[in-house]
Parts: sequence; C-alpha cells; structure tokens
Amino acid sequence: MASAAATMERPPRGLELVKQQSTPEALAVLGVGALAILLALLGPLVVLLMNGFTPLEDLVSGFKSGAFRGVLWTAVGLGALAIAGAGLIFKRQGTKISREETIAAAILGIQAIVLSLLLIGFAGGDVQKFAQNYLDFRIIGEQDPGLKDFFNAAKNTVVLAFSAEFFGVVLGLVFAVFAISKRAVVRAPARVYINLFRGTPLILQIVFIGVGLPIGLGINIPAYRAAIIALSLNAAAYSAEVFRAGIQSIERGQLEAARGLGMSYMQAMRYAILPQAVRRVIPPLMNEFVILIKDTALVLVLGLTAGERELMTYGDFGVANTFNATFFILIAAGYLAVTLPLIRVVNAVERKLRSGLVGVGA
Amino acid sequence: MSDSLIRLDGIHKWFGDNHVLKGIDLEMSQGQVVVVIGPSGSGKSTLLRCVNLLEEPTSGKVFFDGAEITDIRTDLNKVRANMGIVFQAFNLFPHMTAEGNIVVALKKVLKVEDAEAHKRAKDELERVGLPHKTDAYPSQLSGGQQQRVAIARALAMRPKLMLFDEVTSALDPELVKEVLDTMRALADEGMTMVVVTHEMGFAREVGSRLIVMDEGKIVEDGNPREVFANPQQERTKSFLSHVL
Repeated sequence: MASAAATMERPPRGLELVKQQSTPEALAVLGVGALAILLALLGPLVVLLMNGFTPLEDLVSGFKSGAFRGVLWTAVGLGALAIAGAGLIFKRQGTKISREETIAAAILGIQAIVLSLLLIGFAGGDVQKFAQNYLDFRIIGEQDPGLKDFFNAAKNTVVLAFSAEFFGVVLGLVFAVFAISKRAVVRAPARVYINLFRGTPLILQIVFIGVGLPIGLGINIPAYRAAIIALSLNAAAYSAEVFRAGIQSIERGQLEAARGLGMSYMQAMRYAILPQAVRRVIPPLMNEFVILIKDTALVLVLGLTAGERELMTYGDFGVANTFNATFFILIAAGYLAVTLPLIRVVNAVERKLRSGLVGVGA
Repeated sequence: MSDSLIRLDGIHKWFGDNHVLKGIDLEMSQGQVVVVIGPSGSGKSTLLRCVNLLEEPTSGKVFFDGAEITDIRTDLNKVRANMGIVFQAFNLFPHMTAEGNIVVALKKVLKVEDAEAHKRAKDELERVGLPHKTDAYPSQLSGGQQQRVAIARALAMRPKLMLFDEVTSALDPELVKEVLDTMRALADEGMTMVVVTHEMGFAREVGSRLIVMDEGKIVEDGNPREVFANPQQERTKSFLSHVL
C-alpha cells in the first residue's frame, strides 16, 4: 500500500521540474543567449537615450556613435558564442528541459545576431535624412494639422469602422439567408451582390459611390456619408459569406429537429440555426472588422473636409502640408492603438468559445 | 379505414438514381406500436421520415388523421406539430437548456403561454425521469439523458403519433436501457408509435406490430412474437438469424 502511494505522488511540474532537470552548462549557454538578445534590444535604446532624442541632431549622433555600434557588435559576438556553445553541448544533454534550454540559447543567439546586423546596417545609412523625414515629431502641432486634429481623425476612423461594421453585419446576415435559399430567384440576386462587391477593389466602390453615383442619380451624397455607405456595402458582402459558412456548418439535424417540431423554415432559422451560426462566426467576423478598420484608409480618395478627416486623410494632408512623412508614423501608431486591443479581444473570445459550455458543436 | 391514423399509399422514394422505397402501402391505427426492422439500407429510416414528410416521397400519398398531407396545400408545420420525431443523433439545440429546448416550440409553434410552457416542460422532464436537469445544457448531459430530453421535447407538443428513428443507435450500451424504458412506459400509456430500431428485444416485447423491410419493400408484417417465432419469408428468416 505504502509503495503504491509513493508512485501515485504527483511528478514535479513547472519551476520545480526545471530546477530538477536543468544542467549548469545548459543554463550557462542559455544565459549567454539571453544576454545577447537583451543587449541587441535594449543596448541601442540606452545609447540613444543617453545621447538624447531631441533635438534631432542628438538622435542622429546617437545612431552614428561608436557606443551604438560597439554594443551591437558585442551582441553579435555573444550571440555567436551562445550558438557555438549550444552546438557543443547539445548532444550530451540528457533531460528534456536541458535540451530545450540549449535549443532556446541557440535560437536567441540567432535572433540577437539578425537584429544587431539590421540595426548596424540601418545606422550605416543616411540616418540624418531618415530622421528628418520620419521621426521629426516636433513638426506635429507646430503647423496645420495639429495634434487635436489627430485625435479627431482617430475618432472619425473609429466611427467609420463601427458604423460600417454595424450596417455590414445586419445587411450581411440578410444576404446570407438569401444566398442559401432553395429558390433561385432569391439566391441569384444575393450571389450577384456578394460577388460584385467581393470581386471589385474597395477603392473603386468608394469612388463610384462617392463620386459616380451622385452624378448618375443627380443627388448630393455628402462624402462622409458616401464613405459609410461604401464601406457598409462592402462589409455586408464579406459578412454575408462568413454568415453563410457559419449557417452551413450547423449540422443538418438541427434544421430537421426544428422542422420536426412544426417550426416554419424561418422560425427554424431564427430560433435554432442562426443563434448557433452567429456564435460560431464571431471570431471570423471580428477578424473582418480588423481588416475593415484598416480599409477605412481608402476613403482618402473622397477628399474629406477638415472636420471629417479620418487617420489616413489626416496623415496625407499633414505630409502634403509639411513635406514630412512623420505623420505616417503617427497615424500608423493611431491604427495600432485601435487594432491591437481588438486583436486581443478576438483571441480572448475565440478561446472562450472554444472552451465554453454554452458553446458550439453538439 | 376511418379509424386509421396513418395511411401510406404507394410510396416511392428516389435519391438520384437510387430507388430507396419501392411502393410502400401501410395503414396503422391509433394505439399501435409499429416496430420497423430490417438490414441497413433497406429504407426503414426513409420510410419513417416520409411519414412526417421530412423526406418528400417521389410519388405516392400520405394520409394523416384522414387528410392527405402530401397535398401541396397542406400546412405541414401544423401536421408536424402533431407528430413527434426523435432522432438517432438527438439533435437537441445546444444553445438552449433542456427546458429551453422544450419551451421554444411550445411558445413559437403552439403559441402556449409562457408560464404554461414552462410548466409543461417541467412536467415532461419529470416524466422522462430528469426533473433535476431543467437548467442543464445538452453538453452537460449524457447521451441517454439527451435522448430522454429529446423525447420530452417531442411529447410536450402532445402529439398524436411519435416517430423514433434508431434512437438508441448512437448510445453507449449501458445508456440504451434508460431510453428504451422511457419508450416502453410511453407505449404502456397508449401512445401511437412508429419505432425504427435494431433492438430486437424491444421489438418483441413492446411492439404490437412488426414490419420487416428489405430493399425498399415491406417483406413481412404481423404480430412481433409470431414473426420472430415463425417468419414466413426466406429474407426475414435469414435477417433474423443474423441478428438474434
């Protein structure tokens, strides 16, 4: 009994296991690799910080300094050392953990070398010119457009994306249900619509709806509204395809069970099929949304007025006004500020749906 | 003639080039428990699904309660609300609780009041022995429990007829009995049932009538005990010798 209890003990996990299985030499090469990557990542930053970011001349001299190159070449050396050391000791590592540590050391070494060489190469170029054109943040706020306009533009991007997603999803769901109809007369128009909007560039759709359509119909469509319409119609086509795939992924038996209970086709869709389908397609729909946020940049072609400018129009205006591309760096950061949190949410939702009780599947 | 609940009249079913049902004539009256057996591919399930027209016969007529339901003008939703069907794969709605599965059709199809629908759902779950599972989602239930919820869902509609399509075939052996017991109790209460199954013991003990199918035709039709003891057709003999 006692011996049985002993073998039933939980084997070590986590840090406990690492401690037990590591070897000093594996830990040593891992340390060298980690040092190399840290030096390649943080070393240049420290050198630049010590030189100062402003004025621009200090930043440039930081890139050109001997310390900048020195710290990077050291990282290259340490990286090479980690790789060589790892290669030397790998074969005699007898535990899974120590082998993984050795492999990690070599990979970190490679990453440190690649990163360092890229930075050395960059510092060897015309840093002066690059910094003036892309990193001159003083220019923002000094001239028109200012930082206040930037936040307004960011707000407009978000408004455009959210309204287009809203209308797109609602319209897309309708088109998806049409597209799977057993009646060809219902199906065909939906397919034509979906294929038309999926088969032509969004930028053409925006131009056509914003410029061509008002002329053709003889009405005035304000540019901002035209932008929302074009983005919505485009998003509807893509959402429709996502919904259609979702609906068709629901087992046939679900529809049969609903119809067997006396529900009409539409009732079966509404109460049995769509709730499951919608849940299943939330991750791909959110993915489409991330794409849509970036696609709002294409409304640039509509020439929005000052208060309506979204990020891309704002950036383009800034660059044209100041002949300085720092605005592009700024708006890139603006897009990331919206998309990165959303991408995190998508991943979290996806995890939740996959593990959820109320989830998908039978 | 007039007391027959279901009448099939020369039913043929083609799936593409595949002739699955080859002229089925069948009449069954209220209170009968008709068990349909036969080798796989013989058309048992298709026959069952032709009764509530989940499968539309290629030709032939189906009568339910005296009215021809293959008539294009029939409101099939109304007809189906009067026939419960239970499937091999349970087909519970996974996004609803056991109670929700039962309530939804009561409210949306039969327009039963909310309170009454929930009361009926609880009563039916009690009847199938799952009064404590009202709030459980299908994924939290065993296969046998899911199938009993599916039976409760069909029964809550107060159907005149219950169709069972190989309802124990997807279950682990130790879960088969609880479902068969539920069906046996239902038969004892006088429910009219059509049961497609591979459970020969159930067919013998619970069935009031046994139909043997082969290659899209009914080859034998009679009292279960007599058919098992003394099959008339060669085909029945060989089938029974393989399964018994």
